[in-house]
Amino acid sequence: MSDLAPTAAGRHLAACHVCCKLAPADAHDCPRCGAPLHLRKPHSLQRTLALLLTASILYIPANVYPIMITDQLGASPEESTILGGVILLVELGSAPIAAVIFIASVMVPLGKLIALYYLVWSVGRGHVTRQRQRTAMYRVTELIGKWSMVDVFVVAILVSLVHLSGLLVIRPGIAAVSFAGVVIVTMLAAESFDPRLIWDRLERANG
Amino acid sequence: MNALIACLGCDLLVDVGDLRDGDTARCPRCGHFLTRLRHDAVSRVAAYALAGMVFLALAGSFPFLSFATAGMESVMTLPQTAVELYAEGMVFISLVVAAFIMVIPAVVLVLLILLCLPLLLGYPAWWLVTAGRWVFTLHNWAMVEVFIIGVIVSLVKIASMATVSLGISFWAYVAFSLSFTMALATLDRYQIWQLIEELEPEHAA
Repeated sequence: MSDLAPTAAGRHLAACHVCCKLAPADAHDCPRCGAPLHLRKPHSLQRTLALLLTASILYIPANVYPIMITDQLGASPEESTILGGVILLVELGSAPIAAVIFIASVMVPLGKLIALYYLVWSVGRGHVTRQRQRTAMYRVTELIGKWSMVDVFVVAILVSLVHLSGLLVIRPGIAAVSFAGVVIVTMLAAESFDPRLIWDRLERANG
Repeated sequence: MNALIACLGCDLLVDVGDLRDGDTARCPRCGHFLTRLRHDAVSRVAAYALAGMVFLALAGSFPFLSFATAGMESVMTLPQTAVELYAEGMVFISLVVAAFIMVIPAVVLVLLILLCLPLLLGYPAWWLVTAGRWVFTLHNWAMVEVFIIGVIVSLVKIASMATVSLGISFWAYVAFSLSFTMALATLDRYQIWQLIEELEPEHAA
């Protein structure tokens, strides 16, 4: 990276995040689509960090409380947590489905939180190494975010399907609300992070 | 000037002026996807979006799954996933589920058609820019394919309790999901806005 790469910011141009239009950096709104125009997403690191902290707090009740309650005739109500559901699936002998739920509900949200904390920290510290890998990391975080909603959808489907009053009823647990919150807030955190910040230091370091 | 694009991943300026039909441009510095030129992209998006709307209407109108045990049966339809959660007092997730699997995908499809038809007919409709802005704001929040995985996981979870069968709406929803995914995969942010600008010259800077 010896030669200085031509960037939009280097030419005082801002790219519209809605329509890709390049406009003078001092414009307030995009001249083509009218969306607010910024050289970089405003207060990107602070916003991302605030949303990450919110998601981390919501993650605790999401795992401690039951996500689903099963009322079966002649048995006491059975409460299951996210991890409890994974263990139950393994016991039922459906390891592949247990793996899907474990990846979507445990590994993806945790991985996203860790990846975004690391990205905010590394940009905040002004690291100038592994830009390409960090940009790829951000892109993966952005793509996999919504897959964590699987467990919330499972609860919605089972609650509306298993409705034989007196015999067998499935009810939603409070963890479903916190978990949906975790997914939405981490998606917002990923949207607030500006990957161009990873590269900005490089220009300053070279320039 | 018009052929320059700034990479949204790293802000590098890239000239995409010499793309030929079918070519894909990626950022040489960070590898981020930039744009893909396809002469028939708009008609493809319109076709996928129209098909998607038909399949979504079907998916909402028939039984989605049914569940039978000990001589009792219960049938679930797509809108019920949200309605039952609401009845259980879970207003927040009820709204979230309805939005992610039905409302946002439906709105995106309508907007895609509102966007594509004027572009195909060369008619400078007043809503083009608004429709374009909303499509690119909302499309990340549709979780159609995630919901299908949710259905499969649910089936496995309750298969031991009772007999579960897939209704006609399930298959309609799978077809809807494919059309929806193809429509969004074919829609190219940079190219579509170039077309809108050509049609609405007063917005050109």
